[in-house]
Amino acid sequence: MGNEMRRVYVWQLPVRLFHWINATSILVLAVTGYIIGNPPAIQSSAEASFGYWFGTVRFVHFLFAYIFFFNFVYRIYFGFVGNRFAKWSNFIPHSKEQFAEMGRVFKIDILQIAQAPLKAIGHNSLAGFMYFITFLVFLFQAITGFGIYSAMSNSWFPKLFTWIVPMMSGDAYVRVWHHVMMWFFVIFSMIHVYLVFYHDYVEGRGTISSMGGGWKFIEKERLKEDVTH
Amino acid sequence: MTEHSPTMWEEIKGQGYSRRDFLKFCAWTAAFLGLESSGIGKVVHAMETKTRLPVIWLHGQECTCCSESFIRTSHPIVGDIILDHISLDYTETLMAPSGHQAEKSLHDTMKKYKGEYILCVEGSIPLGDDGVYCCIGGKTMLQVFEEAASGAKAIIAWGNCATYGCVQSAKPNPTDATTVQKLVSGKPIINVPGCPPIAEVMAGTILHVLTFGRIPELDGQGRPKAFYSRRVHDTCYRRPNYDAGLFVETFDDENAKKGYCLYKVGCRGPVTYNACAINKWNNGVSYPIQSGHGCLGCSENDFWAHGPFYKHLASFPGFGIETTADDIGIALGAATAVGITAHAVSTNIKKRKEINKEVEISRIKNIEKEGGEKNG
Amino acid sequence: MAKRIVVDPITRIEGHLRIEAEIENGKIIDAYSSGTMVRGIELILQGRDPRDAWAFTERVCGVCTTVHALASVRCVENALDIKIPPNAELVRNLMFCALYMQDHVVHFYHLHALDWVDVVSALKADPKATSEIAQSISPWPKSSPKYFSGLQKRLTTFVESGQLGIFANGYWGHPAYKLPPEINLIGVAHYLEALEWQKEIVKIHAILGGKNPHPNYLVGGAPVSININEANALNMERLAYIQQLLQNAKTFIDQVYIPDLLAVAPYYLDWAGIGGGVSNYLSYGDLPTNGYADISSFKLPRGIILNRDLKNIVEIDPTDEEEIKEYITHSYYDYSDGDKAGKHPWKGETNLNYTGPKPPYDQLNVSSKYSWLKTPRWKNKAMEVGPLSRMLVAYAKGDEQVVELTNAVLKKLNAPVGALFSTLGRTAARGIESAVVANWALEFYDQLIANIKNGDSRMANMEKWEPETWPAEAKGVGLTEAPRGALAHWIVIKDKKIDNYQLVVPTTWNGSPRDADGQRSAFEESLIGTPVADPEQPLEIIRTIHSFDPCLACAVH
Ligand code: HEM
Ligand code: HEM
Ligand code: NFV
Ligand code: SF4
Ligand code: SF4
Ligand code: F3S
Ligand SMILES: [Mg+2]
Repeated sequence: MGNEMRRVYVWQLPVRLFHWINATSILVLAVTGYIIGNPPAIQSSAEASFGYWFGTVRFVHFLFAYIFFFNFVYRIYFGFVGNRFAKWSNFIPHSKEQFAEMGRVFKIDILQIAQAPLKAIGHNSLAGFMYFITFLVFLFQAITGFGIYSAMSNSWFPKLFTWIVPMMSGDAYVRVWHHVMMWFFVIFSMIHVYLVFYHDYVEGRGTISSMGGGWKFIEKERLKEDVTH
Repeated sequence: MTEHSPTMWEEIKGQGYSRRDFLKFCAWTAAFLGLESSGIGKVVHAMETKTRLPVIWLHGQECTCCSESFIRTSHPIVGDIILDHISLDYTETLMAPSGHQAEKSLHDTMKKYKGEYILCVEGSIPLGDDGVYCCIGGKTMLQVFEEAASGAKAIIAWGNCATYGCVQSAKPNPTDATTVQKLVSGKPIINVPGCPPIAEVMAGTILHVLTFGRIPELDGQGRPKAFYSRRVHDTCYRRPNYDAGLFVETFDDENAKKGYCLYKVGCRGPVTYNACAINKWNNGVSYPIQSGHGCLGCSENDFWAHGPFYKHLASFPGFGIETTADDIGIALGAATAVGITAHAVSTNIKKRKEINKEVEISRIKNIEKEGGEKNG
Repeated sequence: MAKRIVVDPITRIEGHLRIEAEIENGKIIDAYSSGTMVRGIELILQGRDPRDAWAFTERVCGVCTTVHALASVRCVENALDIKIPPNAELVRNLMFCALYMQDHVVHFYHLHALDWVDVVSALKADPKATSEIAQSISPWPKSSPKYFSGLQKRLTTFVESGQLGIFANGYWGHPAYKLPPEINLIGVAHYLEALEWQKEIVKIHAILGGKNPHPNYLVGGAPVSININEANALNMERLAYIQQLLQNAKTFIDQVYIPDLLAVAPYYLDWAGIGGGVSNYLSYGDLPTNGYADISSFKLPRGIILNRDLKNIVEIDPTDEEEIKEYITHSYYDYSDGDKAGKHPWKGETNLNYTGPKPPYDQLNVSSKYSWLKTPRWKNKAMEVGPLSRMLVAYAKGDEQVVELTNAVLKKLNAPVGALFSTLGRTAARGIESAVVANWALEFYDQLIANIKNGDSRMANMEKWEPETWPAEAKGVGLTEAPRGALAHWIVIKDKKIDNYQLVVPTTWNGSPRDADGQRSAFEESLIGTPVADPEQPLEIIRTIHSFDPCLACAVH
């Protein structure tokens, strides 16, 4: 058992920035989105001309929608130019080893029927693949969001997404699916945050703080094995 | 009262267009219809000498409310449309003859004005069981429609039935009710959805063709932009209440009496494209929201599929009528929390030993700075 | 040898109706009525939210738009035991009356008139003589010689254009047309005026239900709110609008519709002896004035007349599973217990199974199944429904206005009460009904104003709106009188969803194929004995059929 640890710079600044901007916008979008779908009765005997809170909630949703989207676009770009932990190859399983690793991670971390923690440096293959699915949902959420938004905006940008409306046979469907996918984010976040803590706890490699400073602690031996990876 | 019915050329002249403009219209129309340039002469000729545009109006699986709506138009009134503007040669709802005399009217126009008449379709066309679910004169609606469509210059699909299938195509669509646009290609189709469409929108669509000599500009779903480019919500007079977060919570509550926004009692205005809030109904008297009921989305594809109508979110397919995505989401979220807790407990039991060992061994002795070079 | 003639499509009705008739010696000896379009709405309703059902069923028909919505909200309210506020009842009554006036006028002028009025003959009328006749029968202002000559000129231009549109290939010049040219010209004038007028009265639906056709309804009341101090609700402007529309409607019915009816009828008195049909008449009644539960408060009374006996009114119980049943012996459906069975609507089944000839076909196979309409029976008897049934029940029960007006009409035509059991009687009953309804509507308006004045602005009872308040299982029936007759919806609710939903519709009663015992329904029976001068021009057939004002989209659904 390799016991000597080394500090490894895993998450470059753009990845970390992406991560926290992304996490914040998703939080804001999910909360404002939920309110848009289920507005609370917070006012009763008012005149419309004195209030605009619901409009503001929607405005915040749209504002963070843009932030969320361009942040995401930037991450896509960085997946081509970033370090090897940031690369797209981490996300889309393409080698036998990756598939095998996915199976192992599932047994060890989720079902807990196998022992011996598996210690990837960046994402493990299963996590990477989950993020890939998450990225697809980001894309779906952005396309459907801007698709509905195109009807209420005069800007050219949302109009790029109008095609989704007839494709999903009408605004009502687009909106319902946009709403449904909010729950994907909620559940993803719960599991994701838990697993981050879990890994930090069982592996003790500083997973949590790695998204802050970029550094993880990795066993020396593991690092040697990994150079060819 | 008109002394003599002007030809279309005269009418267009009356609108202040020159003959050159008119020829341009005709060329445009011909191009739109995909005619060869040699066909242009024919279109010009047809429009200059023909007094009234021949119209065939077929009835499929319908409730006839599109016809009913059409006769309610107030500008122009329907009497003027059928006496002065078009020649409504076939419509089962109003025509004098029945039986084979009625069919004669249909066939006369199809023959005499081949390629020149406008075909209006009200109702859907059932394909189930070879079309036996709608027969006219012993033929299936499908047969009658295909015959009439083949010689039509353009087709107007009236109402939700002909454009999207309306209520009879709702699950389980027992008769396989099908729409005009799914059955025809290579012909201009104007979709005029709504259940029914607003009378003046129907008249406006026909008059557009007559007045400007070409079909109106259509959006991606084949609807005239003049009437379907805005959501009801975009022009709804209750919109300030929406923005201010002032909602009717239940019918006839205090908020309803104040005319707050109907979003929370299921208004589909935010996802519905129609001119209701602009043109309003019955010559501008009101529209659903103004009279206290949310928009049902009656001009939208599958509007009946988004029930229950009184909830903002449709019920989730396969669950109870009241189960929305949120109920399911909350349930899944709770299940996730339970799963996480179970996993955490199991982690502490199963991995305790291992972790203890790790903690002991893994004294971090060297904190080196070289990890960063692993970039790439 | 009898000759089979086929009339398909029957036009100037709603929907797809086909009549096949056997003619011998210039008279009809047998007839078959077939509905040739089906949508399966009863199947589509299964599994849906009962509160949404009105919107689906309203789309059964856009001609009698609203009545299915009304029957639907009533059946749900009946199942869940919901009582609606008095104002909601009045709003529903006002919408009911507006529909009656519009639908009856459109039927008379645009669907039925061309059976009696020869448009081409109007070209020969003398405008001056026409004006004199018009002024002698009514104070209606549009009656100058100039008005009629202008119209005639317009008509001439139209005919000379060679494009006759809806009037092409009509039966013009047929020997069964009896009116002098002047009355034909009045008919044409009022055809156009009525076309313009009918779009006005339905504005009441727009005010109270947001649009017409297909205004909005609500389980538990009406969606519109009353607030006389608010721009967004029923306030004085909206109420005054309603009142004005009602007054104008009454004027039109009194000064145009009724005088025209009385001017045309004397030329066609032979039709008071033709087209009687079945001799039983059914009316569920409607227009409650003291809550729907109080049947005795109905303006249009409930009851059945058997064998034309006006002295005995028989009671109906729509919840008694032995009374109303539907048969499919001659209809394109299957029942789980065979073709001869009759089913009460709570146990009703809708299994489409076409067994007719393969299109294109020339004749139906009338010895087996031949229609998409089911065959409803009350205690195994065929019933006629519609304005005639309603007016007969009201007449027999002694409603003052109905008795007075009916007697006046009969006196004017110099005809006995028995003349009502006929094609002409049906057409006259529709006019009489329009006139009384125009009066009643104004009473409902006054009542609404009085309620608001007394501080009652309730419009909906939302106590049982949420499905949590519903029982696990419930059954209900919603009755109404549609313009074409007795309409009812039966609902079974299970687990908050529609488990079964069945509509039994006026034109289903009248236009159905024969039942398991071979008894004819009203359309078929009424054609027996009808003279047909020229089998190639079936004018007489459509006269009698039109007198019922058929609606096939309703009948089949
Ligand atoms: C994680 C990302 C997002 C989440 C969780 C989210 C969630 C939601 C939810 C729950 C709704 C309410 C839907 C309803 O019930 O009607 C909503 C509405 C909406 N969202 Fe998003 N959304 C996200 C991203 C976006 C993006 C990228 C856009 C792009 C413009 C967008 C645009 C909209 C629009 C236009 C609406 C409708 C607002 C209205 O009509 O007032 N959303 N969103
Ligand atoms: C306390 C909160 C969070 C912490 C500590 C955290 C930590 C981390 C860590 C350590 C990783 C790398 C994971 C690995 O090595 O497998 C990661 C990746 C990621 N996290 Fe989070 N996370 C948090 C919240 C969120 C939230 C709310 C979201 C969005 C819903 C999110 C989305 C992602 C995504 C998309 C990645 C992949 C990033 C990439 O490779 O570019 N995280 N997070
Ligand atoms: N039959 C029928 Fe209806 C009516 N009146 C209704 O229930 O027409 Ni469309
Ligand atoms: S679109 Fe609606 S209104 Fe028009 S015929 Fe169909 S059901 Fe009736
Ligand atoms: S009532 Fe409907 S259309 Fe009008 S603002 Fe509210 S949600 Fe939008
Ligand atoms: S229900 Fe239809 S009538 Fe207009 S407001 Fe909605 S589109
Ligand atoms: Mg039925």
